[in-house]
Amino acid sequence: MPVKKFAPDYFLLILISVLLTIGITMVYSASEIWAEYKFHDAFFFAKRQLLFAIVGFVAMLMIMNVEYWTWRRFSKTALIVCFVLLILVLIPGVGMVRNGSQSWIGAGAFSIQPSEFMKLAMIIFLAGYLSENQKHMIYFRKGLLPALGLAFTAFGLIMLQPDLGTGTVMIGTCLVMIFLSGARIFHFSLMGLAGIAGFVALVLSAPYRIKRITSFLDPWSDPLGSGFQIIQSLYAIGPGGLFGLGIGGSRQKYYYLPEPQTDFIFAILAEELGFIGGIFILLLFSLLFWRGIRIALNAPDLFGSFLAAGIISMLAIQVIINIGVVTGLMPVTGITLPFLSYGGSSLTLMLAAFGILLNISRYAKR
Amino acid sequence: MRRVSAVTIRKRLVFALLAGITIFMVIGLRLGYVQFALGDDLTDKAQDLWSRNIPFEPERGKIVDRNGVALAENKSAPTVYVVPRQIENPEEAAKKLASVLNITEKKAYLHLTKKSSIERIHPEGRKISFEKAEEVRRLGIKGVYIAEDSKRHYPFGKSLAHVLGFAGIDNQGLMGLEAFYDKELSGAKGSMRFFSDAKGKRMPQMPDGYAAPVDGLDLKLTIDSNIQTIVERELDIAEAKYEPDGAIAIAMNPNNGEILAMASRPSFNPEQFQKVSPEIYNRNLPIWSTYEPGSTFKIITLAAALEEKKVDLYKDHFHDSGAVEVGGARLRCWKKGGHGHQSFLEVVENSCNPGFVELGERLGKKKLFEYIRDFGFGQKTGIDLQGEGKGILFNMDRVGPVEQATTAFGQGVAVTPIQQAAAVSAAVNGGILYQPYVAKELIDPTTGEVVKRKAPVAKRRVISAETSEKIRFALESVVARGTGRNAFIEGYRVGGKTGTAQKAKDGRYLENNHIVSFIGVAPADNPQIVVYTAIDNPKGTIQFGGTVAAPIVGKIMEDSLQVLDVKPRKKQIEKETFWNDPQIVEVPNFKGMNKKDLSLQLYNFKLEVEGSGQNVIQQSPEAGTKVEVGSTIRLFMN
Repeated sequence: MPVKKFAPDYFLLILISVLLTIGITMVYSASEIWAEYKFHDAFFFAKRQLLFAIVGFVAMLMIMNVEYWTWRRFSKTALIVCFVLLILVLIPGVGMVRNGSQSWIGAGAFSIQPSEFMKLAMIIFLAGYLSENQKHMIYFRKGLLPALGLAFTAFGLIMLQPDLGTGTVMIGTCLVMIFLSGARIFHFSLMGLAGIAGFVALVLSAPYRIKRITSFLDPWSDPLGSGFQIIQSLYAIGPGGLFGLGIGGSRQKYYYLPEPQTDFIFAILAEELGFIGGIFILLLFSLLFWRGIRIALNAPDLFGSFLAAGIISMLAIQVIINIGVVTGLMPVTGITLPFLSYGGSSLTLMLAAFGILLNISRYAKR
Repeated sequence: MRRVSAVTIRKRLVFALLAGITIFMVIGLRLGYVQFALGDDLTDKAQDLWSRNIPFEPERGKIVDRNGVALAENKSAPTVYVVPRQIENPEEAAKKLASVLNITEKKAYLHLTKKSSIERIHPEGRKISFEKAEEVRRLGIKGVYIAEDSKRHYPFGKSLAHVLGFAGIDNQGLMGLEAFYDKELSGAKGSMRFFSDAKGKRMPQMPDGYAAPVDGLDLKLTIDSNIQTIVERELDIAEAKYEPDGAIAIAMNPNNGEILAMASRPSFNPEQFQKVSPEIYNRNLPIWSTYEPGSTFKIITLAAALEEKKVDLYKDHFHDSGAVEVGGARLRCWKKGGHGHQSFLEVVENSCNPGFVELGERLGKKKLFEYIRDFGFGQKTGIDLQGEGKGILFNMDRVGPVEQATTAFGQGVAVTPIQQAAAVSAAVNGGILYQPYVAKELIDPTTGEVVKRKAPVAKRRVISAETSEKIRFALESVVARGTGRNAFIEGYRVGGKTGTAQKAKDGRYLENNHIVSFIGVAPADNPQIVVYTAIDNPKGTIQFGGTVAAPIVGKIMEDSLQVLDVKPRKKQIEKETFWNDPQIVEVPNFKGMNKKDLSLQLYNFKLEVEGSGQNVIQQSPEAGTKVEVGSTIRLFMN
């Protein structure tokens, strides 16, 4: 085990802080009208987001000081617990349905999304597995198959809810990690083909997903149905122009774009802060990604390397899918934009994951 | 054994970094594409989404007669608007509103709770009276508004109804000129625009916009409301007197095709067109109805024969034995026993059928039908009104001697009244066929400037000026000495031709059911007006054009010529008098006479003296006017 411990990646810490600040501001700006209308408190969502951010940030700082290999010991247990929860959530009466997906478990404010936890648990476990079996990864049955089997089992359970967004992020992260571990490109190509076939089958199995696909290609074909969110999102981004309408100047937040503080917050950001603002956010995420990969590159061991890569891949995939959806590049999946979208569990979980990443950075090879 | 080295992992991490950054850049490009390339289009669409337009209706253009007298105008009529979101207690509001507007509570409730930003109560709450509007206002329901609206008003009521047509509840032209010139009369809608959130509230910090409506253009007609009134009056009298199945009249300026008046019975009030059956308002009889013209059509045969020099009205003679044998068929003259030996002028005066058969034969089938077509029969005149008929002519292959003969005196062809008016106009105006029209000018309502003016359309020359002059003389002769005597007006040189056509139904002629008509022209030396009247199946009279229709045309002419300010002529063909005709004498000059002089005179007049002076300073009618014996002369003393 590495022994020498340095300072964490402060640049990464600063990036996260900047994103969090922008996030809270944008949550307020995007939600003030809706919050005022629904809760008679324009700060309703902003206050909560601030609280989640503080809790998450403190948690991140604490986790930053926990040696990352500690998590490896709990990873198997965590994974099993997550699997059990994923099965439980599917039982009618146990799992709660929100927005058409049965993905919540628990009661009221204490309810959680097992799939969110599964993402992290899977990353930690897979990092451990891949580092142990790294030399077997060139073999299909010995190395690749168990990893894939595990990942796809979890993916299948998540898709049963169904939660296309979280499922896609999780399986995407797993595939990136397996790719990084040295799996053969040939295997990957085969898998890619199988994956495409599987995805198509999945889409075809549920008609609403077909609609999501077609609506992203031509949202105006069903402007009040499946194309509604995309259209409303584009109506926010389009008029934003180069400099935007100014902070607080959004029109689409006036009930046109539903729940603008969550998945589509980037649309309001692009409307108010324009192309400049949008590009600035993309730049921040790019820097974040670069720092994450750098940490993976400099990690003292394979486990740390894979873990860092997994965490930063999860972030990148989420950012790509979210902004891709918002700008009409991809079908609507329902995924939050890390650090910016309103949402307690996704924010705190992401911050916790970055706590681990920051810890890995402290053992970087110099 | 192959081994994956740490180098591979590093390589792949770097690859992932580059791939990730590349994808971020693609997303950045997409963002730019949406904001710059699609930006304007999306902004337009988004503004449509955000903006709420409150329409501002333009004022529909007026329709005025040739002298600017309004024939169709707008009357303000308030309309009830409801903003459902602002209604606080829909049940109670519905109850109140229902009682005032005479609708069911349920219907009112549906309107008051409708998911729309602004709602009209159609049709009971639209274009209501001021009193009703005031009642609604007094209810004081929040969210119920009274807006200014307008309704079409036709000051002359039934007069000219078929020509004017009518506009619907949205001020859209539905019939007649209102429909034909709907685009010009309508103008363009304006709107007040404000931006609202998705819940209908006004959005802050968004500029409101206002686009003013463009009022419709005023339409000036060729119609003279004075002449129209005269025509309507005469048709009213005829309707009361004869209870006909229908009646029509057209007055036209023969020199340019301007329609001066057009009327028909049965008629309707355009403001309450729903009260009559659609057949009545859909059919503008003067241009729609198609029937055998009868003898009025002989004018065309005459014109052709004169132009082709096939006849000399004075030198050529014809013996009418009462019938003529054509192609094995016996065609009778309307007069039993015939007219005997006559000049061709007398043939025209007497409307002698065998005489016209002779003219038809002299012309030959080809020439006869050539002229008929040239005069515009068998095709629409192109008048600017909807629903014009084109008439029916024999198929040339099927015209034998009998068809040719009957056509020559106006049977076996079917024509419209407007075709006849246009054709006779051409026959008397010097020989030019004009396209009849009713709309003269489009006028900008604010500046009063003429935006578009319609010039008369001369379609073609059909006969020479000399032939036309001969026809005028022949027609004057018909009125002065022949079948048209009842249309005679002293001093106005009325020319004309009677017509009595049998109506056909299911291929047979009906018994005692005729369309009697008369077409008149005046003055014969320089025609200023052509009047055509047809009465369909008049009751309680001899069904003969000279008896029924000629006097109507005479009266229309007499008053219309004064409206047109046409002066009486000195020379005319004197009316042939019969024993029962009233005697016509000239009014002497009373001016300058004193009371004593008057008492010494034995006059054939009733004198009505006004004023207390001794000397006559004014008299009515003027000296030289021809009046019937026993007429009243008013004298004004100083």
